[in-house]
Amino acid sequence: MAAGGGGSGDPLAPAGVPCAFSPHSQAYFALASTDGHLRVWETASNRLHQEYVPSAHLSGTCTCLAWAPARLQAKESPQRKKRKSEAVGTSNQTDLLALGTAIGSILLYSTVKGELHSKLISGGHDNRVNCIQWHQDSGCLYSCSDDKHIVEWNVQTCKVKCKWKGDNSSVSSLCISPDGKMLLSAGRTIKLWVLETKEVYRHFTGHATPVSSLMFTTIRPPNESQPFDGITGLYFLSGAVHDRLLNVWQVRSENKEKSAVMSFTVTDEPVYIDLTLSENKEEPVKLAVVCRDGQVHLFEHILNGYCKKPLTSNCTIQIATPGKGKKSTPKPIPILAAGFCSDKMSLLLVYGSWFQPTIERVALNTREPHMCLVRDISNCWAPKVETAITKVRTPVMNSEAKVLVPGIPGHHAAIKPAPPQTEQVESKRKSGGNEVSIEERLGAMDIDTHKKGKDDLQTNSFPVLLTQGLESNDFEMLNKVLQTRNLNLIKKTVLRMPLHTIIPLLQELTKRLQGHPNSAVLMIQWLKCVLTVHASYLSTLPDLVPQLGTLYQLMESRVKTFQKLSHLHGKLILLITQVTASEKTKETTSPGQKAKLVYEEESSEEESDDEIADKDSDDNWDEDEEENESEKDEDDVEEEDEDAEGKDEENGEDRDRASEKELNGDSDLDPENESEEE
Amino acid sequence: MVEEENIRVVRCGGSELNFRRAVFSADSKYIFCVSGDFVKVYSTATEECVHILHGHRNLVTGIQLNPNNHLQLYSCSLDGTIKLWDYIDGILIKTFIVGCKLHALFTVAQAEDSVFVTVNKEKPDIFQLVSVKLPKSSSQEVEAKELSIVLDYINQSPKCIAFGNEGVYVAAVRDFYLSVYFFKKKTTSRFTLSSSRNKKHAKNNFTCVACHPKEDCIASGHMDGKIRLWRNFYDEKKYTYTCLHWHHDMVMDLAFSVTGSSLLSGGRESVLVEWRDATEKNKEFLPRLGATIEHISVSPAGDLFCTSHSDNKIMIIHRNLEASAVIQGLVKDRSIFTGLMIDPRTKALVLNGKPGHLQFYSLQSDKQLYNLDIMQQEYINDYGLIQIELTKAAFGCFGNWLATVEQRQEKETELELQMKLWMYSKKTQGFILNTKIHMPHEDCITALCFCNAEKSEQPTLVTASKDGYFKVWILTDDSDIYKKAVGWTCDFVGSYHKYQATNCCFSEDGSLLAVSFEEIVTLWDSETWELKCTFCQRAGKIRHLCFGRLTCSKYLLGATENGILSCWNLLSCALEWSAKLNVRVMEPDPNSENIAAISQPSVGSDLFVFKPSEPRPLYIQKGISREEVQWGVFVPRDVPESFTSEAYQWLNRSQFYFLTKSQSLLTFSTKSPEEKLTPTSKQLLAEESLPTTPFYFILGKHRQQQDEKLNETSENELVQLPLTENIPAISELLHTPAHVLPSAVFLCSMFVNSLLLSKETKSAEEIPKDVDMEEEKESENSDEENDFTEKIQDTNNTDLGEDVIHQLSKSEEKELRKFRKIDYSWIAAL
Repeated sequence: MAAGGGGSGDPLAPAGVPCAFSPHSQAYFALASTDGHLRVWETASNRLHQEYVPSAHLSGTCTCLAWAPARLQAKESPQRKKRKSEAVGTSNQTDLLALGTAIGSILLYSTVKGELHSKLISGGHDNRVNCIQWHQDSGCLYSCSDDKHIVEWNVQTCKVKCKWKGDNSSVSSLCISPDGKMLLSAGRTIKLWVLETKEVYRHFTGHATPVSSLMFTTIRPPNESQPFDGITGLYFLSGAVHDRLLNVWQVRSENKEKSAVMSFTVTDEPVYIDLTLSENKEEPVKLAVVCRDGQVHLFEHILNGYCKKPLTSNCTIQIATPGKGKKSTPKPIPILAAGFCSDKMSLLLVYGSWFQPTIERVALNTREPHMCLVRDISNCWAPKVETAITKVRTPVMNSEAKVLVPGIPGHHAAIKPAPPQTEQVESKRKSGGNEVSIEERLGAMDIDTHKKGKDDLQTNSFPVLLTQGLESNDFEMLNKVLQTRNLNLIKKTVLRMPLHTIIPLLQELTKRLQGHPNSAVLMIQWLKCVLTVHASYLSTLPDLVPQLGTLYQLMESRVKTFQKLSHLHGKLILLITQVTASEKTKETTSPGQKAKLVYEEESSEEESDDEIADKDSDDNWDEDEEENESEKDEDDVEEEDEDAEGKDEENGEDRDRASEKELNGDSDLDPENESEEE
Repeated sequence: MVEEENIRVVRCGGSELNFRRAVFSADSKYIFCVSGDFVKVYSTATEECVHILHGHRNLVTGIQLNPNNHLQLYSCSLDGTIKLWDYIDGILIKTFIVGCKLHALFTVAQAEDSVFVTVNKEKPDIFQLVSVKLPKSSSQEVEAKELSIVLDYINQSPKCIAFGNEGVYVAAVRDFYLSVYFFKKKTTSRFTLSSSRNKKHAKNNFTCVACHPKEDCIASGHMDGKIRLWRNFYDEKKYTYTCLHWHHDMVMDLAFSVTGSSLLSGGRESVLVEWRDATEKNKEFLPRLGATIEHISVSPAGDLFCTSHSDNKIMIIHRNLEASAVIQGLVKDRSIFTGLMIDPRTKALVLNGKPGHLQFYSLQSDKQLYNLDIMQQEYINDYGLIQIELTKAAFGCFGNWLATVEQRQEKETELELQMKLWMYSKKTQGFILNTKIHMPHEDCITALCFCNAEKSEQPTLVTASKDGYFKVWILTDDSDIYKKAVGWTCDFVGSYHKYQATNCCFSEDGSLLAVSFEEIVTLWDSETWELKCTFCQRAGKIRHLCFGRLTCSKYLLGATENGILSCWNLLSCALEWSAKLNVRVMEPDPNSENIAAISQPSVGSDLFVFKPSEPRPLYIQKGISREEVQWGVFVPRDVPESFTSEAYQWLNRSQFYFLTKSQSLLTFSTKSPEEKLTPTSKQLLAEESLPTTPFYFILGKHRQQQDEKLNETSENELVQLPLTENIPAISELLHTPAHVLPSAVFLCSMFVNSLLLSKETKSAEEIPKDVDMEEEKESENSDEENDFTEKIQDTNNTDLGEDVIHQLSKSEEKELRKFRKIDYSWIAAL
């Protein structure tokens, strides 16, 4: 029956580790782990804000902690709304954190300064501090301990204001009433004290084990007809060690019975409880209970009187790791704490390990009875020192991301088939013919290949290989065929391809064209052959436009910069030839200048100069022409492709022609340049 | 009900932190920096703001520790006052009124009762360094008119003046010369860089100066990146200087370490360079600090450095050149292209941050959460480099998707464009790149919007571009046999007569897409992408476009560049109304029908809040800002407000934030200024009481034992002893900080008088000793009760003291209760 959590050997110690959200906006989450370190996390950025190790952390580990209210409002009744909405300017800073230790001392830690603010020792407890509560208005702090006493501290002076015996056994939990005039304390029985006189006002009995948590759930009595004295009619909640039931009690007038009004049932011992206070009668109380088994149970209930049956939760939240692969099964991730955000519609969940918890804001959806969140916390173990200082987060950029460049399908809208009416007619007309013709042609092809097979083994095996490769999508087989550079072979293979494989072949070629430019050079040869040889077949296809749309787009985007490139090319050539020409003329004119000194022979010298210059420019021109020719060859290939395509495609014809013109224009440019040189 | 004041414009996110050098406290626990009209006190350990010192009525221009009392801080401001603060408690001690605008402040330990300030009296660009004698007076406000000029014609920036060698001389630089004033000789020597007129050295103007704390050595930084170390400058002829050169761009600031053994320098390279022993060989670097180093300062204890950066950040760096903390305000370095957005997940404000990053700024806690590195490229900070800019970003589908657009354009034809679509992975709680699109358009993307309708089954994104097209991107299934995947593909490309597409937006239910093409608004059906309707007002290019919401969803609003705001009815396809308003910013409120428009007449900016259904605005506020307002956004409130008056109802569910050209983030507040500026004194003030050393435990135990003995023996005597805490005079004496106390002469008589009231024979010397332990056991001690007559308190205190020491017997308990009852009834009577 020994409790696993808590870190102490005491079987009746509550499970879990002391932790708390900072008040009002839940900006911070303080957690005192069992190794004695106090860590404060920023909830919004999930960043370790600070870490503090009390000097006596080994002897006196932290047993409980509580955030101080943001600031004391002197002589004013607390107005919740006002404080919450304050968002701009000097926002109310949460600062002090009270830590109770196992040796009975209470430390006040300043989170703003990052250092111990003061220590409350003298006259306090001599045993483990079980619970600390700040008074919301006056600067008082209440603590209870295993030494059976409750101590009221004056925080301003760090002195004991009052100390009294709270129970016959250890006092395990405290809670201050909403109006700040009463105090609930609990060992095994729950007592309601009047703070002014320190007298017991009511007793409540019902828990068999030490009460681990106490909380007021309402701030107004359910029926507002009677005058409200600040306490009568209010409900409060209690949870106990090893108890799967949370009891709800109502403070009533003296003579009525003192047992629990109703109860909530959860799956395990409650570790952390948070609730939203209901401010009027209609508004339900929302309750989030974190259990020792790592689940969160959410309840939503309007408190009004008795209920015999224990209520079960409206919603259960669990977190698990994704099961990687088939071998590992998903493992549950324990939830450590849960707190309602100020809008009451979302919940802050703290999960993972105590040393590196993850804090997440989850929107509530009470319609689902069970929520299982899949979270990967494996990388949370990586040291995060770097981000802690620079506050830079690097989103993941991996190779799995899809990359779209112009020409790849998806970068531009796909070309959709022409309006359906005309298409139907066409398809009706053509489909019948097509089927027959394919069958016939297939038969014919088969015969053909058989015949040719005897003649030339190699060319025979290529079409067969290619068709098999296309059918089976075998990468190796396709590679073997498509990586030939032999033009004749390509032509022959394409000629012998069965017609039904033409479209798959074209698609395969398009796919390969999208790849590396080097492989695209090879594919261009294939594409050219296919388009020239099978142009007539392709033109019969009804759905040609969508089929070849991607190819068209690809080509278009590939040749988009071609015009600019050829402009550049022309300009460069012009420049280079001019430079070389000028250099040549310099070289040749320099002797000429010398000769200029001889006045009488001027005319004959000039003639010779011209001759030399002419020769030079001739040489130059030849070289250029060779270059141009080689380039033109390349261009031609593309032009031809374009031509073939242009013929096939009704839609894109206009544009294609335009590009053709451009191409022609560009090829015209070079001779022009040359003429300029001359 | 919340009381309703006038709606005021309040600043959010603070002002620049990098305006002046930050100053460390003597123990390096705190760091001070100027921020607008305030001085902020930060903790160096936690990066948290401990206090905000407010009192100045204009920009604070300089802060220095009081050299004679290191718990005090001087600050000077353009409002012509020097203020002395107690920074531990955040209290203003004194104000010295000088009268003219003060531009910088310097203090020297040797000049006991005077400080040095930079003023400009006659001409606008001529500044003088003057010493101000601070008169000693007990009053809160003192006039300090005794000025004496030290140096004339100096540079305005405090970086160009330095006091050296324990205040023996002061060095100032301007343009091409260095002037040194010796206080003892009262002479000024001036050193001009000989080659200043030479073309080769055209860029060697002085930029900053620092003085060695112990030796006669002045370091000066120059425009060309050189650092010169001047020595032997007592002699105007024999002076020497050596050069240190590492920086390739201007040296922004220099600082010597406390001992003077090393020199720190920084500049645009964002590298902190530490020159050891003032030699070129021995240097250490701390690179990649993110932005230009503007200021460097060194803590008096010598253990910390700090650098202020141009991106509104202060970095605290350890002596061994390791960054230990970053105090980051709203990044203000660069222009904001993305506008203001709200991350639906964290509710943080999102906008451009560091170069290539998106910053997430929490409005609730008013501080930066983190920067999201979108570009993931090393940033090279150099003048004249054209950087890749993050030009557009949008959140979609409740924060599950983030689209970002990066752009770099060196010349008109050389546009590089990239769009990235990030998916929020719940598993890893972070963004993962899903699709990267190179050149999504041929030209700049002008607008980006997600379809955020709740029922839309397929995430849809629309991009509009100057190339005349808008593209619709949808999320499709990209799964193959190897993996399951989703990716974005282009679904539709639309255009309208080759006009440039300038804006796009989806209607609230996602059924309609409005795209504006220059002057024309087109409406497209989002199911079939058919062009449904066009509106054209011929009133100039459309600048903003948005649909009405909720009950006003049948309206479409467009604001043009020529200052016309039009509202079209989508049911009748006709113009409903139009108004003449030069709209700069138009933002719909996601939680209501309201639309906020900020117009810019000739001067200032005006806010109009209206519903599309009626052209009469709900609320008008003129002159919300003197500058141009660039962006605005409605931020949904977590907890709705309940303003009843009609004028404020638009603030009930959302709050409106806007960003001006100088990048100050402003918002509207209805709270009174007093309430806003919650003084720190109102905060929970708990006394610091710490056992300072481990020895305390040993000593404390020992003393406790002694004390107990003493208690046993002299209990009767003690009973009638007044506790020091309860005598007002003594408590006042003990609780006031030592540095604000009047002189002991005044206190003495008061102290003795207070002791005289006691009828006991105990001598005055013994009282504090005995009471030391007693006060820890005392139980009732609040300030209000100090006025009680002593007798009641005595009995009360001693009784409770006993009660703590011993276990209470029943009778004692009863007695105690009786006492308490008496006590409290008496209070009630008061």
